[in-house]
This record gives sequence, C-alpha cells and structure tokens, in this order.
Amino acid sequence: MIEIYKHENYCVLKIGKSEANLELADSLKNAVSATIEKGHIFIIVDFKQVDYVDSTFLAALVSALKEAMKHKGDIAVARLNKHIEHLFRLVRMDKVLMIFPDLPESFTGSFGRNSGGQS
Amino acid sequence: MPDSHKKILLVDDDRIIITLICKILFRKGFQCLKADSVDMALKILEKEKPDIILSDYSMPEKDGFEFRQILMADKRLKDIPFLFFTSFSDTELMKKGLDMQAIDYIDKNTPIPLVVSKIVNILDTIRKQHEQSIYELGAAARALNLRSVPESTPENELFKLDFLYHTYQNYPGGDFIDFPVTEDGYTFIILGDVMGKKWGAWFFSFNYLSYIRSAIRLCVSEGDISTASIVHKINRVVNMDPVLKDVLSTLSLLMIEPKSGNIHYTGAGDLPLILYKRDLGTVTEIRSSGLMLGIMPDGLYDEQILDLSPGDQLIIVSDGMIDYREDGGTVTDYKGFVGGILPLMGRMDTFELIRKKTFGEGEQSEISLDDQSLLFLERKSLSENALL
Repeated sequence: MIEIYKHENYCVLKIGKSEANLELADSLKNAVSATIEKGHIFIIVDFKQVDYVDSTFLAALVSALKEAMKHKGDIAVARLNKHIEHLFRLVRMDKVLMIFPDLPESFTGSFGRNSGGQS
Repeated sequence: MPDSHKKILLVDDDRIIITLICKILFRKGFQCLKADSVDMALKILEKEKPDIILSDYSMPEKDGFEFRQILMADKRLKDIPFLFFTSFSDTELMKKGLDMQAIDYIDKNTPIPLVVSKIVNILDTIRKQHEQSIYELGAAARALNLRSVPESTPENELFKLDFLYHTYQNYPGGDFIDFPVTEDGYTFIILGDVMGKKWGAWFFSFNYLSYIRSAIRLCVSEGDISTASIVHKINRVVNMDPVLKDVLSTLSLLMIEPKSGNIHYTGAGDLPLILYKRDLGTVTEIRSSGLMLGIMPDGLYDEQILDLSPGDQLIIVSDGMIDYREDGGTVTDYKGFVGGILPLMGRMDTFELIRKKTFGEGEQSEISLDDQSLLFLERKSLSENALL
C-alpha cells in the first residue's frame, strides 16, 4: 500500500490507495521508520493517487515528521489534489510540512519551515 | 452500516462454487471479492478490507491454514471474521481450524442457500455484539459522568449560543465542546477535535478537555485574560505529556468579555470561523495562525478580537462538517460547506435552518465520515438584552 523508492537525494513513499486513513496511518509510520533505519532521513510522501486524507493520517504524518526530525531529517508532501492541498493550508499543516506540486529534483529539508515548497 | 454495504472475500480454487455463492450473496446486497488462490486473496487484501472472509482449507500452493496464519500475523487483518469452507469432515482438521481463531467452519456439502444464510446470520450476530459493546461502553461513560459534549449551553447576556453535535455511526469521536463560565463573567467557548477515530479519539478528548479547563481557570485566576496565552500554556503541557505523544488536537478557543461583548479568538489548526456582518450583509472567514496542539512547543498562536454588532453571527465547525462521501469517493470541501450555508446566514432562524440542512433526518449519516460539530453565536439585539 506504501511503495518506497529512492529518488535523487531523498526517498519517496508513494501512497497506493485513494483514501489515506486509519488503515494506512500505521503503514506510514512503519515505512518512515524503516526508511530512516536505512539511513535515508529526507522523505517525500507522494499523494498522487490520494483523493482523501483523514485526521488519523494527518496525525501519522506529523508523528513521522517528528521521528525524521529526531534524526535531523525532514518530511515533505507532494502532488496533493486541490482539496487536500486546501485542507493542509487551512489547518496550517503547510507550516510544518513543505508542499511540492511535483517530486522535486532535490530535497534536503527545510528547518525554516515557512519558506520551502510551494507557497 | 446496513448489510447492503457488506463486503465478503471468498477464497476457493473451485471457481464454480465461488461464482454460485457470489450470485446469491450479490442478490442479497453483498459485495463479493473473489480469489482462486491465497496469493490472489492477499493481493486483494492489500487494497480492500472485507467484513468477513470465507476460505477453503484445501488449495494448491498455499492452503487455508497458511492463509489464516498469514492473516493472524497482520495487525490490520487479523480481526476480520474468518470462516473455513471445506469438504473435509475430519474432526481433527475442523479442530485445527477453530484453534486458529476461525469463528466457524462450513461444510461444502451444505446447500448454497444455507451457506449464504449462515454467513448472513454470523454477520448479524457480530453486528449485534458490536452494538451491545458500544452500548455498554456508553453506559459506563455516562455512569462516570464523562462527557465530551455538554447537555446545554449557558445563558449569556449578550449572545445567543447554540451548538449541533452528531456522532459518527453512533460512535463518539474526537470532537469536544464546552462553554465554561468563570466567576468574573467571562464565557469561554471551546471546540476541539482530537485527530483520530472513534473510541481512541474520544478517550483522549477528556485529557485535552481537562487541560483546557485547567489552563482557563489558571490564567483567569492569575489575571492573564488572553486566549493566546491560554492556548500556548495548553500546548506546552500537551507537548510535555508522554500520554499524549503523537495525539494531536485542533482547538478553537473563544472568550466573550462580560461587558463589551468583545470576542477574543485563538485557533490551533482549526478551520476558519465564518462571520456574518449584518450591516454589510457579508460573510468572511476568520483565520488564525496557530498549529494543532501537540505538534511542537511553539505553536505560533495569535489572538484576534472580534467586535460583533447586534444581529452578527459566528459559526465554528469541526472537520467532520466538511468531509463527506460522494459518487463512491470521499471529499473534503470547506468552500462547498461555506457555500451551502451562505444563503442561511443573517436570517431570524439561521441556526434552525442550518440544523435542518446539515443535521436533518435521512441521508446525512450515510454520507458523513466523522463526528460533526457546529457552534453558533449571534449577538442579541438591544431589545433582547433589555428583556433580561
């Protein structure tokens, strides 16, 4: 359900379902932990196939971000549909997670969290 | 959920049998997922979560026991009710199957209509047990006087206050509402939503409510009458509490000043408030800057002061109000929600009209995805104040 692959200087976690919900929340946390364990601390979660995100998955994203930050890494999100991107901005998730319209050429995190990604 | 939405996974290398069973189940409103091998079933289970699984014992490559073992090792799948379907009448095999926490076995010699009846009965029993568990948990919560939503709103000299709350499929969820009034006459309005679903979120909503009530009392007693200050204190405590690790919550905190009626507002990852100004006939969104509680110790909380004139209205909602099912998919649409209630704003009976539109009888519970809350404030007219 979550495919992990290396892309340029970061890892992509591609969500393979249309609903990112409670069922996927644990899978995301596990995928992030496994990726970090392998030494990849910069991760982009790819929402290309996702139509809907629930609050449980949002919480899992933040939890995953905290885990990455403990290892001096970072997590961003990419390819959100317009409803999801609007939601992220409405609830200020864009202040903690960078949002990319597409998978970027390079991602090495942003500790000035308001300045990165698409704004 | 009505049985017409139930999903069943049938696993058998005999395609004729599963096709026959599926035909009858389909007529009864079930959705059938068919797999002629364990590998195919596992592939389906990567994307689907059926309500029940019926699997043959004996199949080439992996058999039904191996399948059951794989499922039992998977946290997401181990609790799906599982039935063995077999032509073996060997007692040892049956015992082995039942020892693997299969809820029953069905003999393949049973006529197909009876197999279907048995499946329907099992699902019905599971549903009843589930409802009973929810009832008992609810009864225990009521006995302990645990409430995350009040029974009524307090009387306020300057504002009409009201709220709507709807559970999701009879489960309480993460939404919490309160209207504490301090001895100095400050009325606080709390709407929060713990990120998560059903009982887990409901449980943590009490932790959050306790912290919020305590922070309000503490700040007011110290003369620190600021919603930003209160939310900042709550957030710091939440970030230090290991029990709330990874448990996030939104919060809209409003405070009505007793004499001026000015409303102070601080938000934490909440949806924008909807403000109707009667004299201008306009509706605007009031956005705050703060992050959800629990994300990081500095939540960037601001404080806005809203000056509502008589007839002005303010609406605060949780995310359950903007999530819904549509055309087989799910949608989050805040703009659509605001557009829907826009024509109802500024009316004498705005609250009742919103209740009918959003919480009316019928379809709403079928399309909602979470518990739903809406708080409503309207500044009273001077004549209404004079009546008090």
